[in-house]
Amino acid sequence: MSNQIAILLAVLLFPGGVFALVFGLAMKGVDRRVAARLQSRVGPPLLQPFFDIVKLGFKRTMVPAAANETVFLYTPLVGVVSMLIAAALVPITSVYAPDAAIGNLLVLLYLLMIPGIVLMIAGSASGSPYGAIGFSREMALMIAYEGPLVLIAAAVAIRTGLGLGGWATFSLNDIIAYQQAHGSFLFDPVMWPAVAAFCFFYPANLGIVPFDIPEAETEVLEGPLLEYSGPVLALFKIMSALKKVVVLSLGIALFFPAAPAGIVGGFLVWLIKMAVLMLVGITAVRLSMGRMRIDQAFVFFLKWPLLLAVASLAVVVVV
Amino acid sequence: MGLIPDFKKIATRSPWIYRINAGSCNGCDVEMATTALIPRYDIERLGCQYCGSPKHADIVLISGPLTVRVKDAVLRMYEEIPDPKVTVAVGVCPISGGIFRESYAVLAPIDQYIPIDVNVPGCPPRPQAIIAGVAKAIEIWRERL
Repeated sequence: MSNQIAILLAVLLFPGGVFALVFGLAMKGVDRRVAARLQSRVGPPLLQPFFDIVKLGFKRTMVPAAANETVFLYTPLVGVVSMLIAAALVPITSVYAPDAAIGNLLVLLYLLMIPGIVLMIAGSASGSPYGAIGFSREMALMIAYEGPLVLIAAAVAIRTGLGLGGWATFSLNDIIAYQQAHGSFLFDPVMWPAVAAFCFFYPANLGIVPFDIPEAETEVLEGPLLEYSGPVLALFKIMSALKKVVVLSLGIALFFPAAPAGIVGGFLVWLIKMAVLMLVGITAVRLSMGRMRIDQAFVFFLKWPLLLAVASLAVVVVV
Repeated sequence: MGLIPDFKKIATRSPWIYRINAGSCNGCDVEMATTALIPRYDIERLGCQYCGSPKHADIVLISGPLTVRVKDAVLRMYEEIPDPKVTVAVGVCPISGGIFRESYAVLAPIDQYIPIDVNVPGCPPRPQAIIAGVAKAIEIWRERL
């Protein structure tokens, strides 16, 4: 019973729920502010994403005549809930370890797919042609990036499993414990292809500029989100904020979980890693690149990240 | 009652902007794009953000004299914007038709068809004037929330 309460608290308060939401929105605010400064303008207040969410709460929700109302209004909820659960699955070294019953890399892989699927369903349920374009682009992009992600996860799991004397270990707690004992995978040459593949994967998963093709506002007017307004649009914003926390935190857990013991130290180190990952991996990339076409992105993913991921898996199994 | 007005105050710090070109010559549109997007006049400071979809918009900037051809599209677009919304007419064309005023193809003044809250006259108006217009629109928007 105390187990279930602990899981519930993890989903609703920390590291999921309230904490992940506030942290994700704050990251978005810092991202926008830093981006503005890099373009030598003043930029919005740091709390701007919170203002946006409150504002959307005051707006009217419109359902297009062509839309399927139930699906249109309730799919974003599924996305938010999936991300809340996913946030509770990712461990933070020496701060939070998920319950052994749920802290599993395979479960996380499935949960990470849901926001993409939610966008696809929402786009097609809206009955808008732009939503349909967004649907097909999101689908193509997902097919392209999910393969490398699964292979990366397999490489990490097998590396840990072989190290522990078994075959593959998908428990995130074990993966972190192994890296704490034997050094982070980031400094392990065998894992470098997987790290590189992950660096290509997460901009696509988070919809950041070189790969924000499904929601390109200058081409398809934000695609699946085009028809959404008011509180339901806010749910999408919340979903993407949560997803950012989950994916970046997963990257840290998989490749660089090293942190001192003790809650305060561990949390500070995690914060610093998240900040660096966000500023270098999201803000700088977003500002310095243009958007790819969907066919370019598809070919790119099937060429480089997939190659790197296959290479890393092969190297891990052989070495 | 205590908390609600505070939330309204917060909400007005996030006005999202949408542009409708009602047959404008593009002069005002260039002026608007430069106002909001170039670093010098950065209105992201006010929390503004250009949005691609009318359904996300709070403040609508309309330019142009409303030509006969574009009228239906403009009215439909205006209907798509969820309440509460504020309309800003940019340039002299929406007010009087400007240099196009005697044309058979022009329906100006635009406020016969769409309620206009703020007028920013000029041909084209200066960026500072457009920002002042947006700031005024935010004040009106606060009362409507």
